Amino acid sequence: MKLRKLKYSDSFWAFILLLPNLLGFLIFTVFPVVASFVLSFSEWDLLSPMKFVGVSNYVNLASDETFWKVLWNTFYFTLGTVPIGIALSLLLAVALNQKIRGVKLFRAMYFLPVISSTVAVAIVWQWLYNPHFGLLNYILSLFGIEGPLWLTSTTWAMPAVIITSIWKGLGFNMLLFLAGLQGIDSQFYEAAKIDGANAVRQFFHITVPLLAPTTFFVTVMSIINSFQVFDQIHVMTQGGPARSTSVLVHYLYQNAFQYFKMGYASAIAYVLFIIIFVVTMLQFRRTKSWAIY
Amino acid sequence: MSKHVVRVCLVVLSVILLSQAALAQVTLQFMGWEASPLETESVQRGLRRFEELNPGIKVEYIPVGGDEYHTRLLTMMAGNAAPDVFFINAEGYYRNFARRGVLLELDEYFYQSLSLDDFIPMEQDKMLVDGKIYGTSSCVVAPVLYYNKDLFDKAGLPYPPSDPKEAWTWDEFIEVAKQLTIEQNGRVTQFGVYGFENMHPREAAIYSNNGLIFSEDYSKLDMGPKAQEALTKILELRTVHKVSPPAAFLEQSGMNAAQMLQTGRVAMVADGSWALQELAKMNFSVGVGVLPIMERPITAGTAHLHSIWSGTKHPEEAWKLVEFLSSEEYQIGLVREGLWMPNRAHMYELEDRGRWMDPEVHPEGFEGIADYFADYVLPNPSIFVPREAWDIFEEELDKFFLDDQPLDKVVENMRRRIDPILQ
Repeated sequence: MKLRKLKYSDSFWAFILLLPNLLGFLIFTVFPVVASFVLSFSEWDLLSPMKFVGVSNYVNLASDETFWKVLWNTFYFTLGTVPIGIALSLLLAVALNQKIRGVKLFRAMYFLPVISSTVAVAIVWQWLYNPHFGLLNYILSLFGIEGPLWLTSTTWAMPAVIITSIWKGLGFNMLLFLAGLQGIDSQFYEAAKIDGANAVRQFFHITVPLLAPTTFFVTVMSIINSFQVFDQIHVMTQGGPARSTSVLVHYLYQNAFQYFKMGYASAIAYVLFIIIFVVTMLQFRRTKSWAIY
Repeated sequence: MSKHVVRVCLVVLSVILLSQAALAQVTLQFMGWEASPLETESVQRGLRRFEELNPGIKVEYIPVGGDEYHTRLLTMMAGNAAPDVFFINAEGYYRNFARRGVLLELDEYFYQSLSLDDFIPMEQDKMLVDGKIYGTSSCVVAPVLYYNKDLFDKAGLPYPPSDPKEAWTWDEFIEVAKQLTIEQNGRVTQFGVYGFENMHPREAAIYSNNGLIFSEDYSKLDMGPKAQEALTKILELRTVHKVSPPAAFLEQSGMNAAQMLQTGRVAMVADGSWALQELAKMNFSVGVGVLPIMERPITAGTAHLHSIWSGTKHPEEAWKLVEFLSSEEYQIGLVREGLWMPNRAHMYELEDRGRWMDPEVHPEGFEGIADYFADYVLPNPSIFVPREAWDIFEEELDKFFLDDQPLDKVVENMRRRIDPILQ
């Protein structure tokens, strides 16, 4: 009787239908998250038995100069990609929200880098950055500027990776902004026009404030993504030269899979988690006042 | 009576069944990395030969992309699903894996059919981990000096010597490189030499100058004035003598060393002996010489080993495969193509050289290169230190070669960061 009741209840079927997804989430997300938390307090090379070492991984991190270097590089990368990336993609979205010929083609073109393989993109950019035969330095030379050595320069390698990342992420954010722009009721613009506001004023006084929820979402996602950057760095520079482009996830990868220090790598992962968590919380707190209308 | 017959029948039957089982095929999994399609082809040809010789054993070859190779191997071991036999990189990984107990100790097999003294000394050092063998040497490879003969002919210069006893001194080498560096309208169109800042030629130069990177027991960094002098001389090729292009020039040009040599962008290239396989197939006249010397002729060798997983269910069969892979027969196939150099001392004896030198592949004067490998090759120090330590070494050297930082400061940083890892 009871069984029959359960069998036909909606929640039972909902649960059954969600099961594949839930199982996947439990096995591939929840379990690793918990396991790596435990691991971050131990020493493990995947092969020998795990050894509990307390907080010593975290203590070692604090005195590991490489860790501080990659932490700084991670912030550098984030500060370099997020503000410029958001500003550019907003401008692009506004431009491609106009009624111009071939707008769909342009939207598709700007979105193309997003769906291209990061590895392929990184290899093509390596060519562009070539100091001798690359397009970039050729263009610079037309203006009489001697281009830097880009990827082999400790000063320019990070900016190079940042430029590539901005270019690659532009289309995705543009798409989100486009969706946001199309959600703004045209009567606001009409009213503004009647009041005599020009295009620039309309942009700053209507578009920007009404887009705030989208901007908030884009900012949070961009920051999280850039803290977790790995692919393009792994392909373009392998963290070099002289570790100038090595970021947290790259150092984590090296520790886990090249030095076989799973515990230490897990500790890095948790530090990264805490940083992202705190940054995101701060954004949520600050945003309450400006993003909700 | 009938019971007895039944019993006999049963016994006979079970004997037949058992022997059937014994004759049944064993399938070995063998994992390697794909350095080049040519290499994979050679490996597969070798494996077919092995299966012919050992009808009871089948080999399943699993080629894995280079970068993730050891990560994948380690994960497979952790999951208790590793291949029976595999390549393992001598640099950074062989010793590391051996000390973690995941490589089968091979002493009992090795000494039954092979002799350590038969290998050239550097290969003996490479195989032995705390006096025991966990993998057999595949071959040896080490940097040499490749050159484009046409560019030398055009400049009317003598070719770089291939006899180690007649090797150019560093100064003679710089003179030639200067004459081969051609500038047009303020742009260098042809550089004299490339490659000394890269791993392997760099270590060879340090050894050649009688310098060291680590102390002899590899317990600490020991880069004295001799090593520092060698590195400074390498840097000066680019900064003072202007005969060498900017660092990482080749990687970034989208061409490899061989292609740069072929297209005449560089006249001489210091690169691994393995490049000969590709160079010999290219349509230009390539020469091979010994590296110029700072104080003594020397080159720094390496090359992967073949090891067996300690968790294998078929150690006997796995050893048969490893034994085959380290046999002269197998090795000669790859040596004749220019990819490998022999690891056996006797193969360098004059009367044995004809067996592996191929005039189509090994250019004129290669006799000298054979002498070079027989008597003037030391193991690259990267074989004996953990990868972590070597990565720091590379990272700090970047600061010297690419960031104009003073070498003594760089060496001091290395010492501070590497010594705790080595102790």
